[in-house]
Amino acid sequence: MADVLYTNVRIFDGGGEAPFTGDVLVQGNRIARVVKTGFGQRTPPVLGAQVIDGDGAFLMPGMVEAHTHFSWNDQPSLDAIQRMPPEEHILWCAEVAKRYLDMGWTSCVGAATAKPRLDVVIRNAINDGTIVGPRYLAASQEITVPGGLGDTTAPHLPQSEFAFGAVVSGPHEMRRCVRMFAKYGVDTLKINLSGESITGMPSEMSQFTTKEISVCVEEAKAWGKRVAAHARSTWSVKECVRQGIEVIYHASFCDEEALDLLEAHKFEHYIAPGLAWLINTVHNASAWGLTPEVVRKMDYPRELDAAIESMRALRKRGVRILPGGDYGFAWTPHGSNAKDLEYFVRHVGMSPMEALLSATAWGGPMMKMGKQLGYIREGCLADILLVDGDPLADITVLQDRSRILSVMKDGVFHRAPPVRGARSTTRWAA
Amino acid sequence: MADVLFTNVRILDGTGANPYTGSVLVAGNRIRQVGRGAAAIRPAGAQVIDGAGATLMPGMCEAHTHFSWNDAATLAAIQTMPLEEHVLWCAKVAKKYLEAGWTSCVGAACAKPRLDVVIRNAINAGQIPGPRYLAASQEITVLGGLGDETLPHLPFPEFSFGVNVSGAEEMRKAVRLFLKYGVDSIKLNLSGDNFTPQSPAGTTWMTDAEVAAAMDEVRLRGKRGTAHARSAASVKQALRHGIDVIYHASYSDTETLDMLEAAKDRVFVAPGIAIIYAMLNEAEPWGVTRAIATDMGYQHEWEAALESLRAMHRRGVRILPGGDYGFAFTPHCNNARDLEFFVKYLGFTPMEAIRSATQYGGQIMMRGHELGTIHDGALADLLLVDGDPLANLAILRDPKRLLAVMKDGVFARAPEIAAQRRWERAA
Repeated sequence: MADVLYTNVRIFDGGGEAPFTGDVLVQGNRIARVVKTGFGQRTPPVLGAQVIDGDGAFLMPGMVEAHTHFSWNDQPSLDAIQRMPPEEHILWCAEVAKRYLDMGWTSCVGAATAKPRLDVVIRNAINDGTIVGPRYLAASQEITVPGGLGDTTAPHLPQSEFAFGAVVSGPHEMRRCVRMFAKYGVDTLKINLSGESITGMPSEMSQFTTKEISVCVEEAKAWGKRVAAHARSTWSVKECVRQGIEVIYHASFCDEEALDLLEAHKFEHYIAPGLAWLINTVHNASAWGLTPEVVRKMDYPRELDAAIESMRALRKRGVRILPGGDYGFAWTPHGSNAKDLEYFVRHVGMSPMEALLSATAWGGPMMKMGKQLGYIREGCLADILLVDGDPLADITVLQDRSRILSVMKDGVFHRAPPVRGARSTTRWAA
Repeated sequence: MADVLFTNVRILDGTGANPYTGSVLVAGNRIRQVGRGAAAIRPAGAQVIDGAGATLMPGMCEAHTHFSWNDAATLAAIQTMPLEEHVLWCAKVAKKYLEAGWTSCVGAACAKPRLDVVIRNAINAGQIPGPRYLAASQEITVLGGLGDETLPHLPFPEFSFGVNVSGAEEMRKAVRLFLKYGVDSIKLNLSGDNFTPQSPAGTTWMTDAEVAAAMDEVRLRGKRGTAHARSAASVKQALRHGIDVIYHASYSDTETLDMLEAAKDRVFVAPGIAIIYAMLNEAEPWGVTRAIATDMGYQHEWEAALESLRAMHRRGVRILPGGDYGFAFTPHCNNARDLEFFVKYLGFTPMEAIRSATQYGGQIMMRGHELGTIHDGALADLLLVDGDPLANLAILRDPKRLLAVMKDGVFARAPEIAAQRRWERAA
C-alpha cells in the first residue's frame, strides 16, 4: 500500500474547531502527519507517496453509522425481509456493505440482523478481505417475546425460521439465546425492549420482564459483549440506564425522570434515535399504503413529535446522539443515511458542526475504538473522506455520492479521487 | 458502455484458423466488425486500444467448474463450510475466474443445493462479477457412492456432499427438487472415483431405471444431464441415456469409443486430468505421496485415461478443458494448465488446445453460433494476451500476461495505459 499525501485540503479534524488548510500524510493504515499550511502553499512531496492535490476540497474523518441493518433489503415489511433465502440474503448484505463504504460510512455498528449469522459472516468477510465494506460490529437478531416486535411467525406457521427476531420467553430461554449468538461470534446482543406501532404492538408498550432483561445483560457481559436495545417507551429507556444497556436505539418517549437518568449517566450510553424511520413513515410512505390516515391511526405523528422533543432535550443535556438507524426499508433505502445529519440540524437543533461531530469523533467510542477513529490526527486510523463542498455550510452535500470525491478506509482507497484533466481516449495495451 | 476498437492485434479467432493481424470493433455487447490487415476500421467515437501486436482471442470456457469447491483437501472440508460463508466464497471465485480469462463456465456440481443457481442469478443480475455460467445441481449419487459423505452415526443429508438416492422414485424426486431451484443441468455420479476408496473409479453403481428416471425429468423440462463417468460402463450408460456432457471418461474399450464417435456431434468430454496428475505428482503436502496415490489407483487410471483420451481425440470427439479445480492440490484459476496437458499428454496441437477452450466452449455453453469465436456479430467475450499462446500456452495462466478481459462488451480487466503513469492525481 503506497503512502498518500493529501495537499491543499481544508481539514476538519474531528476536534470541533473550524477547518484549516493543510496537508495530511497517510503511511500504512495510519495518519502520520497533519500540517497547517497557508492557502495555496504547497509542501514538498514526500518521497514515494502518491500526492493528491485536493485543490481546497474538504477533508474529514470517515463517518460512523450507529444503527445499521445490512440485511434489511429495502422492502416494505419485516416479512418481506425474512422471506429472502439465506444465499441471496448474504449476497445482498455484501452488496449493501459496499454501498455504505461508497457513501462515506467507513464504520458501521450493526443493530440487528435478519437471520442468525448474517452480520457475523459479513464482518468476518470484510475483515479477511473476501468482500469490501466498512469496519463493522456484528449484531445478533433482535431478541423478542412471542407477539412482540420481531415475532413474525403466523399462528399456523410457528417455525422459528419464519421469525424475523429470536423469540424467547423466560430467563432460561433468554440465556440460551444469548449464548447461541455469543457462540456465533456477535459483538452486540440486540434486545427489543419496547414495541413498534407498525407491527401491532404500540411503541409505548414494553414487552420484557426485568428478570429476562437482567439475564440478557448478565450473560452478554459474561461473554464480553455489548447490549443494544430497541427502546421507544419511557419505561424501556429507563430500564436501559438501570440495567446498564449501553446502546439505546430510538428513545422516543422520555419523561423528566428518563432525561435526568440519561444525563446522570451520559458517558455510559449512546443514543441513536433513527429519526429517518419516523419522519419518512409519517411523511413519505404513502406509496406503500402508509397514508396520513393510516400512520395517524398507528400514532406515528405523535411519536415523531415526542422523539424530536426528547432529542432536543437530550442534546441540551449533553447526551451523545448519533446518526443512523433503520435505513433499509422501502422508504428509507440504504445509502441515504446522511440524511440523519440533516435531520439533526433541522429538527434536533444541532449546528452543522455538532452533526458532523456526531458522525465522526463520537463514532470512535461507539465503534469501541476510542479516539483512534473519527479524527484527522497523527496516529489515528486513516479513514478519510474528501468532499467537494463544505458540509459545515451545507450538511446535505454528504448525501450526494458525486460530492464525496474519495473514500479511504484503513489507509486504502475504496474510491480514489478522479484524475483531473481530459481523459485520453487512447489506451496502449502493451 | 462505450464502444471499443482494438487495433493492431493478432487475431486468434478460435476456429483453428491461423492468427492474422487486424482490428476488432466492439459495439455494445457484440463484435460489430473484424478487419483484416492494416485496413483500419474507423473508431467513430470508440475507445481505441492499440494492442501493439498483442494476441486477441475469444474468452475461454471452463467446461467442468465447481465454484463451491473451496481449495480444501477433502470433500468433508468443503461440506463443513457454513452456507453463508460458502456463498461469499463462490462469489469470490466467480470473480477470479473471470479475471483469469474464463468468460464462460459450465457448472459441474455444487456442494450445497442452491449455491450454483444463486451465483448464476447474481452474475446475470449484475450483482456480482463473474463469467457466463450454467448452474448445476449437487452431485446425485447412491448410498456409499462418491459424494455420500454421511457417517453411519450421522446419517443426516446436511452432512452429505452429494444427494443420496436409492431407487427411481427417489431419483425423480431429487431431480425435481433441483429443477424447482432452477438448475441448468443435473449431475449424476455414474461411476466411483479413486478419491473415495469405498467407491473407486472402476465401479459403476447406478441402475438404468434410476438414470432413466432422472433423464425423463431432465428432458421434460428441457434441461441437460451431465455425468461423472470414469469407468467404461458408466460412459456407455451415460451415452445410452442421452447424457451429452461426460466428465472424466478415463476408461474405455472399443465399444465405448465407437459409441462416443457415433455421438460426437452431441457429446462433450471434459476429462479433468489435472486432478489425476496432481494426486500422483503434487499432493504430498496433503499426505498423498506418489506411493499412496498409486495404491489408490491413480497411476493405473492415468495410463488408461491418456490412452482413452488420445483415442477419442483421434476419432474427433470434442475434448474440453476444465475440471476439478478447487481442491488443495488443484487450486482454482490454474485451469489453463489443462491446455498444456492436452498438448503434452493427449497429442493436441496448441491450436487444437485453444480451439477446445474457445470454439468448443461456445458449443458446450449451447451458444456456438455467437460464443467462442471472433466473427462479426459474435458476443464480445475477448482476451488480450501479451505474447503468442500458440508458442507458449503457459502464458494463459500468467495474470501478468493477460492484458485485458472483456465479457459481454465490458472490461472485467481493462488494459493498463502503457504511457508513463502520472502519479499526481487531482481532486
